[in-house]
Amino acid sequence: MHHSVIKPNSWVALKLPSGVTRVIQVTPNTSISLGKYGTFPANLILERPYYLTFEVQDKLPEESFSRLRVVPPSELYADVFAEEDAECANPAAGPGSNNDAVIATAEDEEFKLVDAESGNVIARSTQEVIDENARQKLTQAEIEELKRDGTNAGKDVIAKLLLSHAALDQKTSFSLSKYKLLKTKKYIRRFQVLPIDVPTFSNWQLEERDASKILDIRAEMMGLVGCWGNVHYGGEDVFLEDPKATTEQGEEALAPLQEDLLAGRWLVVDDTGGLLVAAMAERMGVLYKEDDESEEAAEEEDTTEKAEEETEQKQESEMTSQKDIDMTDGQQQESTSETTLARHPKRPRDNKPRDSDFAVPFSQTNTITVLHGASQPNLSFLNYWNFDVTAPQHPPHPLLNHLLTLSWLQLLKPELDTSYSTPPLTADPETLSTWKPSRRGNFHRKRRRYAKVRHIVDSTRAGNFSGLVCASTMDPISILKHALPLLAGGAPVAIYSPSLEPLATLADCFSVARRTAWNSGLVPETQGKTAEELEKWEGSEQFPLNPTLLLGTSIQTSRARRWQVLPGRTHPLMTERGGADGFIFTGWRAKPAEGKIAAKGKFKRRKVEESVSTPASA
Amino acid sequence: MANNMTSTQPTVSPFLEPGLRTKPRSLAILQLSRDNLLPIYLQEPSGEHDGYAEGAVVNTRYGSFPHSTMLNVPWGSQIRASKVDTGSRGRKRKRGPKDEASRDDAAEENQPETTTDNNNKDASEATGVKQAVADDSGFIHVLPPTPELWTQSLPHRTQVVYTPDYSYILHRIRARPGSTIIEAGAGSGSFTHASVRAVYNGYPSSAENKKGKVFSFEYHEERFHKMKKELTDHDLDGLVHLTHRDVYNGGFLIDGKSPGADAIFLDLPKPWEALPHLSRSRPTFGAKEGEDTTAEWVSPLNPKRAVHICTFSPCIEQVTRTVSAMRRLGWVDIDMVEIANRKLHTIRDRVGLHYQTDRGVNVSPHDVEEALERLAEIEERVREQAARPRDAEDADTDMKNGDDAAAKKEEDKEQPPYQTPWIDGRLITKGEPEIKTHTSYLVFAVLPREWTEEDEAAAFAKYPCGKEKAVVGSIDKQTRKKERREQLQKIGDRKARRKERDAKIAEAVE
Repeated sequence: MHHSVIKPNSWVALKLPSGVTRVIQVTPNTSISLGKYGTFPANLILERPYYLTFEVQDKLPEESFSRLRVVPPSELYADVFAEEDAECANPAAGPGSNNDAVIATAEDEEFKLVDAESGNVIARSTQEVIDENARQKLTQAEIEELKRDGTNAGKDVIAKLLLSHAALDQKTSFSLSKYKLLKTKKYIRRFQVLPIDVPTFSNWQLEERDASKILDIRAEMMGLVGCWGNVHYGGEDVFLEDPKATTEQGEEALAPLQEDLLAGRWLVVDDTGGLLVAAMAERMGVLYKEDDESEEAAEEEDTTEKAEEETEQKQESEMTSQKDIDMTDGQQQESTSETTLARHPKRPRDNKPRDSDFAVPFSQTNTITVLHGASQPNLSFLNYWNFDVTAPQHPPHPLLNHLLTLSWLQLLKPELDTSYSTPPLTADPETLSTWKPSRRGNFHRKRRRYAKVRHIVDSTRAGNFSGLVCASTMDPISILKHALPLLAGGAPVAIYSPSLEPLATLADCFSVARRTAWNSGLVPETQGKTAEELEKWEGSEQFPLNPTLLLGTSIQTSRARRWQVLPGRTHPLMTERGGADGFIFTGWRAKPAEGKIAAKGKFKRRKVEESVSTPASA
Repeated sequence: MANNMTSTQPTVSPFLEPGLRTKPRSLAILQLSRDNLLPIYLQEPSGEHDGYAEGAVVNTRYGSFPHSTMLNVPWGSQIRASKVDTGSRGRKRKRGPKDEASRDDAAEENQPETTTDNNNKDASEATGVKQAVADDSGFIHVLPPTPELWTQSLPHRTQVVYTPDYSYILHRIRARPGSTIIEAGAGSGSFTHASVRAVYNGYPSSAENKKGKVFSFEYHEERFHKMKKELTDHDLDGLVHLTHRDVYNGGFLIDGKSPGADAIFLDLPKPWEALPHLSRSRPTFGAKEGEDTTAEWVSPLNPKRAVHICTFSPCIEQVTRTVSAMRRLGWVDIDMVEIANRKLHTIRDRVGLHYQTDRGVNVSPHDVEEALERLAEIEERVREQAARPRDAEDADTDMKNGDDAAAKKEEDKEQPPYQTPWIDGRLITKGEPEIKTHTSYLVFAVLPREWTEEDEAAAFAKYPCGKEKAVVGSIDKQTRKKERREQLQKIGDRKARRKERDAKIAEAVE
């Protein structure tokens, strides 16, 4: 049950009145500064619920910090309620006409000053256009002073600003509320805490950080990609039995791949810095740690310090590997290459002896396999969910057992990849015990890495993936050329691109004309090839992809249009984010029948002998 | 636990784990053509069915497809049409030995091509069902069911919530594995299927075992029964709890107990009538007259989490009232959006004089040069015509010239680029002929969990204030510089310590 309350050291988004979002890590015993909106102790939001609106209060004389107050919704909506009530009381007056609505607002706590000093009417219906700056009687210096000394969470400043506005009584109720909103956004010392989940994070990245880093992927498109990729929980975890490899055995001791156990696996190409992987992990239920009392204790440590101490931890790991050796020595007699299916919901870590070097740490189901173009995957955004793909010794995280990464080289030419093709080191226990701890640690680390890489590459090459999801800067045709053969029959493909052109070219590879030509044997290069060879079609100039491998290909785009909903003032927002629209290409992996196949229907033969029959079925 | 699971675990829905091959009883979506989808339940052949010797048969304009040819094949397989006797059903027909023989020949000829026949040969021999014979033409594809395919092919009972809307809604209401969702107005079930997929994290093994679940409400009795049957047919019974109820008056409790919802989707004509039932404590707003206010209030919401809601209404007046009710009931972050989705087709735009007249081809100059060339040609011909004296001798040459021109034209046609229509012309994209400009307005909102004075006091006691060491967030330049210096200092210290330790270890080893 994640996101029930704000946990220590978790990343959160603070939404400020100005609409700006600040993403910070809530470290216990620190102060959080919101700039002009005030500073407060982080401990005051720890273990408090998300989505509440807090108000930074004035420091009490005897305290060194500002306390927070939860703002009830009745106060948040006071203006709207006043307007609605006024409308109910006087239904004849249409919305926006001169009524008592704004005076009602003045009776609210925020406007006590207004009441006391200005008397009754502060708003009047008029069509005059008011220049705000020209009519404000307070000088900038005075405002600054007010801000400094102002109390009551900025409400004083707002009230005084409204009061000293010369033309306040000439404003319509609408323009007055607009003016008040403007000033409130600027001075009210309020904020809201949102959990960092995929929708919040991507929105922040898109609107306030560098949108190009996540390929301008909007929430609408993220939702579409997830649904069309059919990304969902892929079944209970299944682990391969530890082969209990001893230090002497080589390759033969690897846990053999069991293809029938592989299920619910998705293939991803992600150039959004890990956001797409995070979105998929969220849909598969492997992004968030389950709240657990024991984990809370582990989280108490400062994580930023942890990163710095990585090198130190490595040495610790060497110490533990010393223990490892002793254990494997004891188990040597039992060691067998037999692997049996082991099903357990949670991988026991602490109560069981440590796994041997060749134990496969990954689940066989519900996994994400990331294909990356560089030698290391760029999944840095996963740090916001406390997962660091580069950390050698990682605290427990569900992604550890469910995220597999491999490079295109490892997939397509594994023999050229050193970590895949170099046979594992072997050493007898006597020699090992004479080694320095650091050398021993390296020895085990290399063997573990070898087993991991072997498993990832071999299981990926075994294919039968449940779907392919892509958001990449690479040419989608080249991706599909190698990824399509890896998909199970009927598996969906969902490819996101910020621009339309690459997807249009891709869709054209599966055009009716191409499929018909292919099916009726008009492509000379396909002659005499088996179905299996055609599945791994290398591509020709005219047929970059085998056009019969994808069904129902289509391109679409979605856009959410936001509206303002206020009494009498409901309309779509005037401006929204522009830039890349974003498109997705979808289809399903087909298993074409062998041999020539013709569509049913009447079609006239063309006069030219070699020409193509009319597409009939589609 | 692993052992007894096999006996008690229900069949997993083909929507969630379809496996690699088609199975009997499973729902399958037949793709007849691009947008023509047909959902069927695959049946094992068991003797004659509805007059067909092959067992159950799907007849389409693309041919006839006995279920036996679609069973136990990989999902996504292209299925060849079969020669099925559709004319003589019900009539007893005597087949001549000749007829029989020719059929067998055809079967043998076709067998190496159709792997599906081989798969089912054994089975059909055992049950005495006629072996399907592949036809010369016609095919379909058999796809595993997904909420997207189901949404496109389901029997419409009401307006359907389509993929562009439900994908966005589920993303925003944070429907995730393990969540509990309330859905009111089950309608045709498209949202139900999509939300089950979103919250699925396994079937509950017992009543206490809480897993992701959808609580669906439908007031229309006929729709309720149809939906109920559909859920059973799709093996979703353990994951969807369907209730026949008018939620405006009846609320959302199940047998007086709270479903503990994390997210809510309301596809109702009057969401504001249902909203008061979705409060944390007895609402003061929108209370029904004659309501028993003395009874204990049970909230259908999860008390430990913020609850996300989405309402789906086509009219702006509905939105105004819904939003107003939400404000009164304490919902925050109210946001209204509308989704516009566009599908795009890619086509090859062929313009040029060298094309033969055909559908989708525009036989007009494709650029100025081509236009110029043709205009010049015409002009020249006109000039020639004018220069020619009108007498009998020249008539012959005229004919000859005409022949030449015709021959030249023929020549052009000999190698028309039209032989490769898949790379001719310019690749362009076009919208669909008809677009959906408005589906419904989506209103999103969040209801934070309740926070009492006691909760606050407990949290304050656990995390007391006043010992703040550092400042996070906006800090001025000086502080930042100071922090950086301290950090560097720390790292330096650590490096020194490490060196020391390494030296010690080395000593010990020696």
